[in-house]
Amino acid sequence: MKHWWWKFLAVALVLAASITALRTPLAPAIVHVEPATLQPGTRHAIEVLGYRTQFVPNEVIAYIENGGQFVPAGRVDVIDDTHARIHMYVPEGLREDMSDLLVTAPGAGTMRLFDAFYNPVKGSGATHDIAAEMTVHHRKGFAFPNRNLLYETIRNLNFHVPMWFTMMMLQTVSLVFSILVLRSGAELHDRGAVAAVHASLLFAMMGLVTGSIWARATWGGWWTTDAKLNGAAVTVLIYLAYLVLRGSVTDRAKRARLAAIYNVFAYVLMLLFIMALPRMTASLHPGSGGNPAFSQYDLDSSLRPVFYAAVLGWMGIGAWLLNLRYRLARLEILQEDARIR
Amino acid sequence: MHASAKLFLLTALVAAPNALLAQGNPDWLVDTLYGSGKINTVIAVVAVILLGLAFWLYRLDRRIARMENHHRP
Amino acid sequence: MGKEVLNLLKLEAALDLRQRAAWGGMLLYVVSAVYVCHLAMKDALAGTAWNALFWIILLFAAFNALARSFQREDQGRQLYLYTMVHPRSVVLARALYNALTMAVLSLLSLLFYALFLGDEPLSRADLLQFVLAVVLGGIGFAAVLTLISAIAARAGNGIGLMAILGFPVILPMLLAVMRASQLALQGAPWSDAGLLFLALAALDVVTITLAWLLFPYLWRD
Repeated sequence: MKHWWWKFLAVALVLAASITALRTPLAPAIVHVEPATLQPGTRHAIEVLGYRTQFVPNEVIAYIENGGQFVPAGRVDVIDDTHARIHMYVPEGLREDMSDLLVTAPGAGTMRLFDAFYNPVKGSGATHDIAAEMTVHHRKGFAFPNRNLLYETIRNLNFHVPMWFTMMMLQTVSLVFSILVLRSGAELHDRGAVAAVHASLLFAMMGLVTGSIWARATWGGWWTTDAKLNGAAVTVLIYLAYLVLRGSVTDRAKRARLAAIYNVFAYVLMLLFIMALPRMTASLHPGSGGNPAFSQYDLDSSLRPVFYAAVLGWMGIGAWLLNLRYRLARLEILQEDARIR
Repeated sequence: MHASAKLFLLTALVAAPNALLAQGNPDWLVDTLYGSGKINTVIAVVAVILLGLAFWLYRLDRRIARMENHHRP
Repeated sequence: MGKEVLNLLKLEAALDLRQRAAWGGMLLYVVSAVYVCHLAMKDALAGTAWNALFWIILLFAAFNALARSFQREDQGRQLYLYTMVHPRSVVLARALYNALTMAVLSLLSLLFYALFLGDEPLSRADLLQFVLAVVLGGIGFAAVLTLISAIAARAGNGIGLMAILGFPVILPMLLAVMRASQLALQGAPWSDAGLLFLALAALDVVTITLAWLLFPYLWRD
């Protein structure tokens, strides 16, 4: 039982985080507007489609936000729970290309559709028909943030991201084993290092494939030129090269030492690369390259512990996979010694 | 395993989720999973992770089998 | 230690100058690569592509030049060398010598490249910055590839293994230096590019330090 607690803990954490990730509803949101282009200086009737909203007549207030200015809607006709028609006059002189739509209602909270409207005529700011301040409602309950483009896929946060954390943990374990090899030259440490590399590559592959699927659904391509993707690709290449190096040396002691040296060298350079990279290239990922981090629009900070639970849990699972391989390696060494004798 | 048994198992595996879904979805399922598109992305992601873990188990199985074979006379 | 490194550097230079064919080979490699590019592209190159192609040529030239680094001497002389001096002096001298070689080779490559593929992109560039990027890049390639070449040589596997091992670890250096030279081509002010150059120089130093730390383990047999 003594050696089992952390395995149970890991499984429990992963289970809890996965159930929460799949079971938590998405927050109500505006998903579609028609028309999507504004003609400044004219009246508009905008059809709005909500997702999981419950529009109640006379309670819905809408605004268009452009460059920090809020334009209130005149009247909102509620058609049903998820459909509404906004009647409003759009003043001339809006500053930015894109406007956000804000719909606020008690219960549902304030919902924002980012870049909802294109504004073909740019000005230097509207001078009338703007609101001094906005009515804000806060949503009650526990939900995933609902962003356009992402929608349901935001649940992947608890599956895709922990893969990378686990990969990095396993690579660090492999680095420690490699340093031990340099100090002791022990066969077991070398086997530990290679087992950790194998496990880290498994998680890297899962991270790459899940990321690719997610990217296809949100960014429209299986692979994009992105700082984080470049970092991941370099990481995978380094550890594949590590395995090739091992494959090309037959003498065991020499193989252990050469592989350990390469591991230490490559790990440090990779670490520098990953730290410096986001500053050099653009990224579509949240929290880098000027994109808002998830946490910035993640109104439910209660979901954050769930994400950390997923990361910790998956690290535990990764450690368990490594643990099994390491123990097997120990048995293999014993068996080989016994056969030699 | 007998070939027909395999076929039965395969059919059952494929048919079971469909049969469950055909019975009408509870509200929470509609709300959380099928409400808007892109839920298949989440399903694919979870499937990839499960397949990855299965692959690791398979490799481990192979290594253990190799050890067992050494012990046989 | 310092004197030992200096003596070894002199030895490296003396041995290298005796092998003039090797230098000729390196230069011919660069010239051929540049000329092939010239034939393939004529003068359809501008800005980013010009920069990228230059670094790709230089990358392969570095692999070609530094593959010999630990393979040119026979086992007997190597053993003799390592009984006389500390392995860390050897790797430091070798890395410094390779850095010098690469700095010269990079500048010569730039000359040929500008000659055959046009120097039009350089006309708007901050030339000092560009040359600095080329030199720092060459030194960085040498710093990374010295240890990689030693590992590949010890593994008893030639240039093939070196390319596999070297490519992923040299990528950080390559991306940083391409970025720096791109900024230089755009004529970015020093306030923008300065930090990048500092980072490049730091990366060079860290890499050489790592080689210095790890090399004794490589030698222990």
